[in-house]
Amino acid sequence: MLNYAIKRLLLLVPVFLAVSVVIFMIIHLVPGDPIDNMIQIGSSPEQKAALIARYGLDQPLLLQYGVWLRNLLRGDLGDAMILRRPVFQLIAENLPHSLRLGGLAFLFSTVVGIATGALAALFKDSWIDRSVMALILLGSTLPSFWLGLLMIMVFAVQLEWFPVSGARSWTALVLPVLTIGLHGVALVARVTRAAMLDIGRRDFVLMLHAKGLSHRRIQLQHVLRHALLPVVTILSLRIGWIVGGAVTIEFVFARPGLGSLLITSLAQRDYPVVQGCLLMLAMAVMLGTLLGDLVQAGMDPRVRDNLR
Amino acid sequence: MTSINCSVRLLALAAAGVCSMAAFAPAWAQDATFVLNAREAGSPTYNPIKGTKLNIANNLIFDRMVMQDADQSFHGQLAESWQAAPDGMSWTFKLRRGVKFHDGEPFNAKVIEWWIPKYKGTENAFMVDAIDKIIVVDDYTVRFQMKTPDPSLLLNMATSFMGIPSPKAYEALGDKFGVTAAVGSGPFKLASFTVGQQTKLVRNDDYRWASALSTNRGPAKIKNLTLREIPDDSTAFLELKTGGVDLLLGVPTDFLPRIEAEKSLKVVTMPGTELFYMPMNTSVVPLTDIKVREAIALAVNQKEILASIFGGLGLEAHNFLVSSLLEAKINPKFNISFNAERSRKLLDEAGWAVGANGIRAKAGTPLTLKLWTQNGTQFKRVTEVVQAQLKAIGVNAEITVHDPASINAQYRKKTEHQLAVRAYDYTNADIIDWFFSAARMGYPNVSMFNDPKAEELNLKAMKQSRTWEERVTNFKAYHEYVMSQFPFAPIYQPTQSFAYSQTRLKVPDTIRGIKIATQSIMDIEVR
Repeated sequence: MLNYAIKRLLLLVPVFLAVSVVIFMIIHLVPGDPIDNMIQIGSSPEQKAALIARYGLDQPLLLQYGVWLRNLLRGDLGDAMILRRPVFQLIAENLPHSLRLGGLAFLFSTVVGIATGALAALFKDSWIDRSVMALILLGSTLPSFWLGLLMIMVFAVQLEWFPVSGARSWTALVLPVLTIGLHGVALVARVTRAAMLDIGRRDFVLMLHAKGLSHRRIQLQHVLRHALLPVVTILSLRIGWIVGGAVTIEFVFARPGLGSLLITSLAQRDYPVVQGCLLMLAMAVMLGTLLGDLVQAGMDPRVRDNLR
Repeated sequence: MTSINCSVRLLALAAAGVCSMAAFAPAWAQDATFVLNAREAGSPTYNPIKGTKLNIANNLIFDRMVMQDADQSFHGQLAESWQAAPDGMSWTFKLRRGVKFHDGEPFNAKVIEWWIPKYKGTENAFMVDAIDKIIVVDDYTVRFQMKTPDPSLLLNMATSFMGIPSPKAYEALGDKFGVTAAVGSGPFKLASFTVGQQTKLVRNDDYRWASALSTNRGPAKIKNLTLREIPDDSTAFLELKTGGVDLLLGVPTDFLPRIEAEKSLKVVTMPGTELFYMPMNTSVVPLTDIKVREAIALAVNQKEILASIFGGLGLEAHNFLVSSLLEAKINPKFNISFNAERSRKLLDEAGWAVGANGIRAKAGTPLTLKLWTQNGTQFKRVTEVVQAQLKAIGVNAEITVHDPASINAQYRKKTEHQLAVRAYDYTNADIIDWFFSAARMGYPNVSMFNDPKAEELNLKAMKQSRTWEERVTNFKAYHEYVMSQFPFAPIYQPTQSFAYSQTRLKVPDTIRGIKIATQSIMDIEVR
């Protein structure tokens, strides 16, 4: 298992380097210029040229990438051009908000998703199953931006149960968590239901029935336990999205977080911040996937064997 | 005697009752939350000397030498009076006495002597470029010795970038000034600042020196003021509707009917500071032909756009400047107004004949032009109407929508664009220099306008005006000449609106200043 973990960790190094190249090149190659957001009406072309030189934007792109990577390996993400703070500080201020929101949404989608999926499998082809399936369809197709506004209209404006936006109290977390979580619920419930129905057709389940165990007990004690392997796989792949899955929702609910920071910086082409945020999101996905692989390998020795 | 004693007791009881009610008044009674205008959101710093994007909080933390009223007139704030020499080569300012910064440091002539040189090497240096040296005449009198006359000095002094920080705090904090703390002499002190999210201000209880534009000379009536940034307009509107916030500093035109429908909310509309226009790339065929440019400019029906897109809210634009500026009042013959008949005649004269499909052509080449715009509902709608208006005179305009962050880079390619729908927000006539000077081709000079006579008039207006009156005259001449060459078509001037909860706030009937700012916020009460 240790060997497997080390091999998987080593595989992350080339992936990290490739990701860093893609992130750097994408933001520098798309049209747009942070200097436009820094100069005043009335500034002379010479002042603009001085700013370009100050930030090294007149250097060849490869050289700029080299400098960024060198600093990155030293743990220095650089200073924001527009926001005028160390990028590390900006990320440190915003990341806890994203983790709180994403973490709660992940927890919500896991618990409710497994519960509703199991319920649908338990009462297959009943009205409960059909209702859950309809909800899954809705949850997986509604755009989160629209769902967020709908949540605000119903629960904040009409019922006045929760605040419309912001991050001033724990109640302000409820609607964004539900909005993000519902998407996850749909996915987890669908996988849980499908896995339970698949496991339910295995021979050992038939034997349990022959032994006279109740249908409910077989489903919840035996089938669900075996069905959790694909669910864990799906969940582990979603761990990375705890950080990155809330980009639009942070915008709709005017919440602080990595998503809000990324959108603001992207609009102003604040290169160091965009690079820092994208790197954080990519690393979250990479580490989430690694964690998922390790969990899977721990649960299923065949996965470990594949990397030998 | 008994009745008198009884009355006294009753009065004392009543007084005690009032006092106890006051003592138990909820802490939020003097607190208010405003939502920043979308254009002001994202300010990274409250450092007026180095910041290039400042919001209203900056003006509440820092006082300026002078302020502007809605009619663009100047009024003293930290300067009680001023006098310019007839040749424009010196300005003398008498300073207000008794002003203290939030850290207790006094404001005097020495502060000004320290402050102005701090702009050197910053992006805001051009504001004080014309000042040669500062002479301290006495503790409360300073004289600016000028390198060249600068009639726009007062205009510069009234901008947010000329807020005066406490020298002691500024030197102590270095690059962190405006980021971790900001110390000025304004009616509010900075309590906390989370970039992109919110700024919390707390009242400066020592403040007694508000400008004459405020009825209340100080301290402010609001005790704790939170300025939130809500990027989505729908969310901001719903926050106002549900009482989550008390005032929206900017309301998009689309939302005005919805806010007006709410009884508890009130919308205040003021003259705008923004202008929509359509630059034409004068360096590419067929827009190199002035007749084609004039025809296109005359095809834009400002009245129809105002009515159909903006529901009549705002003003038609007929030249390049917002109508409140003196330099906008040019000879009417230079103003550009819709005239389809003349437009068609000009195209005929230029050799563009109407084809079978209604689109004009010349030597087999159809009159098809690229029309650029940027993301945003208003931009898209205006562009689509302009496209239809151009089609009516036989011009086929093909729309391309660009991301606002990348469109300037596209303009810098210089020959890719032909027409574009754009807007600016600025209240100084020198915006003509910014968008039409040959020194800035591609962007901001999207029109690629390069005309020797215009450059000559530009130089005169920008560098050779000695007095304010002379500056106005010179800019009018420059403006008129640019108009005569048709490098753009004027479209629309939006109004600016803010909305507030009538149940929470009492806002003065007359809003002083070009926008809702310190002048009016001093007089806003929390109910």
